Amino acid sequence: MVYAVLLAISAAALAVYLWWATAGLLDRQTEAAIRADVQGLSERWDEGGLPALVLTIRERLEQNVDDDAIYLLADQTMRPLAGNLRGWPEPVTRADVLYELAVSRAGQPALAQVQRYDLPGGFHLLIGRDVQARAKLRTLLTDALLWGLIVVAFMALGGAFIVRSLFRRTLANVSATAAAISAGDFSRRVRVSGRGDEFDQLAETINDMLDRIGRLMEGVREVSNAIAHDLRTPITRARARLEDAALHAETQGELHAAIERATGDLDGIVAVFQALLRISEIEAGSRRSAFCEINLATILADVNGLRLLLDTPDSVPVWGDPEMLRQAVGNLTDNAVKFSPPGGEVRLSALASPAGVEVTVADQGPGIPVEDRSRAVERFFRGEAARSTPGSGLGLALVQAVAHLHGGTLHLADAAPGLRATLSLPAQRVPSQQVPSHQVTELSS
Amino acid sequence: MEMNVRRFVGLGLMLAPLACVTLASPAGGDSAPVVVTTDTPEYCHKLMDRVTQALRAAAMPPPVEVAALSNEGEHMCNDGLTRGGILRLRRALLLLEQIPPSP
Repeated sequence: MVYAVLLAISAAALAVYLWWATAGLLDRQTEAAIRADVQGLSERWDEGGLPALVLTIRERLEQNVDDDAIYLLADQTMRPLAGNLRGWPEPVTRADVLYELAVSRAGQPALAQVQRYDLPGGFHLLIGRDVQARAKLRTLLTDALLWGLIVVAFMALGGAFIVRSLFRRTLANVSATAAAISAGDFSRRVRVSGRGDEFDQLAETINDMLDRIGRLMEGVREVSNAIAHDLRTPITRARARLEDAALHAETQGELHAAIERATGDLDGIVAVFQALLRISEIEAGSRRSAFCEINLATILADVNGLRLLLDTPDSVPVWGDPEMLRQAVGNLTDNAVKFSPPGGEVRLSALASPAGVEVTVADQGPGIPVEDRSRAVERFFRGEAARSTPGSGLGLALVQAVAHLHGGTLHLADAAPGLRATLSLPAQRVPSQQVPSHQVTELSS
Repeated sequence: MEMNVRRFVGLGLMLAPLACVTLASPAGGDSAPVVVTTDTPEYCHKLMDRVTQALRAAAMPPPVEVAALSNEGEHMCNDGLTRGGILRLRRALLLLEQIPPSP
């Protein structure tokens, strides 16, 4: 409705201006011609009085090739003395007022605009112009503009109706999807028409948001399931040890030992909860506030005290959270060392390119079978080779969460033998001008 | 109902300015039309006499158009096409006015 009213008002304003510019111009021209006539005749009156005025009016009528001049000179009793009107028109009583007068020309009705002037000595002068043609033009113009306005009004209403229908359809689509999701159907998405317009962009944005909400909810569900299934065991174990100690411990020492073992189990559970919370925090994306420009080479060199081979450039600039990246690289290195056989080698390398940075940790351990690699980054997943080693099954899940937060990926591949874990990060925000030189360093614990 | 009222108000707002302009015209009155006397056969003959007088008074031969216009005007007046004839006679007079009179 607002659109229709605005369009109608704009069209009306344009129509009024056009009318004023054309029909109004014609009226102003008539008034100007009458004023010019008045000026000329008053000069003749001043020069030669009544006889000069009579002669001038006669001459002007004889030379009026436009055939539109109206003159009448009358005496004190309104008797015509000169001019081309048969008698003084009764309605014309006031001076300096423009009158519209009906006249008869060769038996045909016409319209004239006249103005009265009172002369000294009681004489009266009427000057005017035949405006019949101009009146017809003005009527034609007025009719055309009015009909045009009516057409514009209908088009404005039609356009408003169409625009409103479009908006209503899109809003109904979004509302129906929101209602379905509120009712519990989280698979519903807003329909995209395929036109690629702003409505489709809105629909795609809403769908992306719903997908992300779905992933977050799925993550929460996974964590809840994992907590229920995988933390119940250590809690049950701790309870069983304490119960056994309470029932069967014969000495103070046995009781203390049982309590210490249970305390160790509970510390492990607390560490798992902390790791879970950290992963959730990272996946929620709430830790980007600590992002800054860092040199990954210093983080990689800082992973010391372990037997590994370091192959990194002097500078590996990335944009990220140094603490998170330290933990991610630490987790990969920790896994590699944990699963490496005695005398084995762990290679830690970094490769910087215009596309981004790749950090690779490769070991010579048992590796991860192909069928388990996609599940290795799930929370609490432990493969067959990991069953006998300590751990909670959250290390790779945290590395993947850090990779995603930084806009990168974690890729696991066969190192033949062993596992090659590659953490890929996008290039930093400001391109670096440095040309790094490679450095191969062997560190040992 | 409210929607219809809004629509009519909108249409009225749109037409009001144009109506105001259309209705604003010089004052006038209802009376019998006044006859213009320069559209009559009598005035036509009067003009023909004026043309003849002007031709006699001219110091030099008039332009060729004068004769054509005055002849045309006379014929049209005689045939009842008064306004057309008057127009041609006026144009002939205008051309004759530009010729200085004989001393």
